[in-house]
Amino acid sequence: MSATSVYLMIIGVSIVSLLPRILPIAMLSRFEFPEGLKKWLSFVAPAVLGALTALSIIAPQGSIDISTGNIYLWAFIPTFLVAIKSRSLFLTLVTGILTMALLYNYFGA
Amino acid sequence: MRNMELREGIKDSIPIVLGYLPLGFAFGVLATEAGMNLLQATAMSILCFTGAGQYIAIGVMQAGGAVITAILANLLINQRYTLFATSMVPYLKKLPTRWTAFLSYGLTDETYAVAINRYRQQEASISYMAGLNLTSHLSWVGSTVLGAWLGSLISNTERFGLGFALPAMYTCLLVFMVNKKSDALVAVFSAFICLLSAYLLPDSMKNLSNIIIATLIGASLGMLIDERN
Repeated sequence: MSATSVYLMIIGVSIVSLLPRILPIAMLSRFEFPEGLKKWLSFVAPAVLGALTALSIIAPQGSIDISTGNIYLWAFIPTFLVAIKSRSLFLTLVTGILTMALLYNYFGA
Repeated sequence: MRNMELREGIKDSIPIVLGYLPLGFAFGVLATEAGMNLLQATAMSILCFTGAGQYIAIGVMQAGGAVITAILANLLINQRYTLFATSMVPYLKKLPTRWTAFLSYGLTDETYAVAINRYRQQEASISYMAGLNLTSHLSWVGSTVLGAWLGSLISNTERFGLGFALPAMYTCLLVFMVNKKSDALVAVFSAFICLLSAYLLPDSMKNLSNIIIATLIGASLGMLIDERN
């Protein structure tokens, strides 16, 4: 790719990645949503979180990997338990990162 | 007051910063390998701020693809943000739209997860949004610069365990978020649909439409369960 093409690509990607984030907020904020829609939207957050969590652990490299070789699955177990018990983001992060460092260096891919 | 919210936003961005470190770094490395210079890689992280989208653009570039291919792939992959942003509207509508719209350029999977978790419990504010989104964006740009610049020196960032910073953050935010039974069911069901869709339609995993499919079906299930109660 020529330098011009690279910059064109960057600008094009910028436009299509920023508009979907900015337009809904810019255009829809002045409307009062109907109750039904508000309720539906309130379920978007848990749905997105469920999907993102599942993908980040079960498909960490971009494809589904349900095997004992997927160290993200193993690291998930102590992380999840600490999250439930402690309800502390800090402790959960430390647990997750340390577990992953240990797993990667000693049982690693 | 405002200062405190700004600080809380910055504080809440720490897990994201940790997670972006290896991801932005990897982007910087890949971008230079694909033929971008430091300035181009940095410009892309400043102007686009979309992890998956930037990786795809680099892939297209490396494969000798056309500019329009990279743009169209991004058009698809970033559609999930329409859904995220729309679900934020009810929380942000009391705030000045020009600021919320401007700061929404910092909306990503990660900042969405953190922000919506907070707004469900506390009032949203411009200061909090600025602290969270700008710090996250800064770390994305900074780690891109490091990767593009020093990429050849540090060969393997995985061994630091930071690859699990974002999965751990998602896990924890999910635990925080599901206080009601209906939310828990929606999350589990959506996770299942997302993986099923990735399994049945491998392309949906590549363009992340599986997140959209799972969210649409998951949230609709939430309505059904809630109606019954």
